[in-house]
Amino acid sequence: MKKRTIFIAILLFFSVFVFMAAYSQEDIKFVDNSAFAKPERAPSLFAHDEHNENAELEECSECHHVYDEDGKKIEDESSEDQMCSDCHAEKASGSKLALMKAFHTNCKGCHVKEKKGPVMCGECHVNNPAAGK
Amino acid sequence: MHDVYNFVSGPLVWVAFIVFIAGSLYRVISLIMLVNKKEKFIFDYMSFKYSLRSIIRWSIPFATVNWRKHPVLTVVTFAFHICLIVAPLFILAHSVLIDESWNISWWSFSDTIGDIMTVIVIAGSIFFLIRRVVLPEVKFVTSASDYVILAIVAAPFITGFIAYHQWFAYPNMMIFHIISGEIMLMAIPFTRLRHMLLSPFTRAYMGSEFGGVRHSKDW
Ligand code: HEC
Ligand code: HEC
Ligand code: HEC
Ligand code: HEM
Repeated sequence: MKKRTIFIAILLFFSVFVFMAAYSQEDIKFVDNSAFAKPERAPSLFAHDEHNENAELEECSECHHVYDEDGKKIEDESSEDQMCSDCHAEKASGSKLALMKAFHTNCKGCHVKEKKGPVMCGECHVNNPAAGK
Repeated sequence: MHDVYNFVSGPLVWVAFIVFIAGSLYRVISLIMLVNKKEKFIFDYMSFKYSLRSIIRWSIPFATVNWRKHPVLTVVTFAFHICLIVAPLFILAHSVLIDESWNISWWSFSDTIGDIMTVIVIAGSIFFLIRRVVLPEVKFVTSASDYVILAIVAAPFITGFIAYHQWFAYPNMMIFHIISGEIMLMAIPFTRLRHMLLSPFTRAYMGSEFGGVRHSKDW
């Protein structure tokens, strides 16, 4: 009986760790690339909250935008409850950019404009982030 | 780094393409003008049929006696030249940049295929280098400029390969890659690399002379 209690205690103890490890994945480090059928590159570096703090981005709608029927951006609405891939498919449709181009235009576009942040492929798609930055 | 990158991937690309295209036109036009002035009779016996016959023949591996006599050289030459021209056109990263810069959705192949073609070009360059150093009959006709040309051609493939794999000095390697590609483009009309442009003309001339004048084959 005692053995079983210890066993369960140990099991509980480790499952908390597993749960915590899984939970800390919520802290985004990379941009999820699962919407691409066959990704070619390592996912892009992107520590969401830290990035936006460094870059002084306060408006979520800078990226998580909402457009009306006429293709005009609605300034005071945002879409952070959705993935970019919910609206941008792998292939472009109508005036909506294809998913890869949506990311590149959004991310690299701002870095080029601000002259800050990565602009070359391998600065975002880092092959081995442990060895890299 | 942003300023350097913007410069080499912006204005310098334009300079490289303008020099390459204008230089190539100049080369081809001045060749035709020269023939027109000095040996006008060549136009009389230039034959479309025999020109095409010869160009096609020589574009097929092992279709000519000369190709069959040097099987290793033939395989390397074809693999090298095909990859040299096709790889830069359809490398994924190039296609991405073409789309971002000019809104053209260009074709591309996967990174793996691009990587294999790059290795083929680098291996071919090493083969040609060793051949020049080792074979006496090749060494005899080799001058310093041949090594320079080989280096100009190999450089964008070597730097691109290292940058793609992010082995070391990534941002600098990327800049070297872009600059070396631009140097290669600009070198084409003004070095012996111009055989890329002119070889169809020399082949057409040979084919026409052998077919139309000597009534024989040139292969
Ligand atoms: C609710 C749907 C929706 C979501 C979610 C969404 N987009 Fe868009 N996006 C659109 C529409 C619609 C357009 C096209 C507007 C037009 O007609 O020009 C667009 C246009 C764009 C453009 C081109 C215009 C511009 O702002 O430069 C980029 C880039 C872009 N989206 C990136 C993203 C990124 C990155 C994300 C995720 C962070 C994202 N989008 C999320 C609907 C969405
Ligand atoms: C509106 C502007 C803007 C947008 C959009 C943007 N960035 Fe940035 N990013 C910056 C700035 C500014 C920096 C430099 C911050 C600093 O001073 O270190 C930066 C830095 C970075 C860095 C370097 C490390 C860091 O976090 O500081 C990475 C990686 C990065 N961005 C990735 C991305 C990705 C991926 C996206 C698209 C999903 C993106 N960025 C979209 C402005 C932007
Ligand atoms: C500013 C950061 C940034 C830069 C610079 C950048 N990308 Fe991306 N790229 C992204 C993000 C974010 C995505 C979305 C999915 C992901 O994380 O890979 C993406 C997606 C892609 C995809 C589709 C997903 C896949 O892996 O097949 C490809 C291909 C790609 N990028 C290639 C490139 C190439 C080639 C370059 C250089 C010419 C480049 N990227 C430069 C951020 C960047
Ligand atoms: C404070 C404002 C912001 C909020 C509240 C916010 C919120 C979120 C949330 C909740 C997600 C997860 C979506 C999901 O998984 O369903 C997300 C993902 C994402 N956000 Fe933001 N965001 C903000 C600002 C920004 C900005 C300014 C950018 C652009 C630089 C950005 C780019 C992205 C990207 C690319 C993802 C996808 C990450 C991935 O899937 O791995 N966000 N954001």
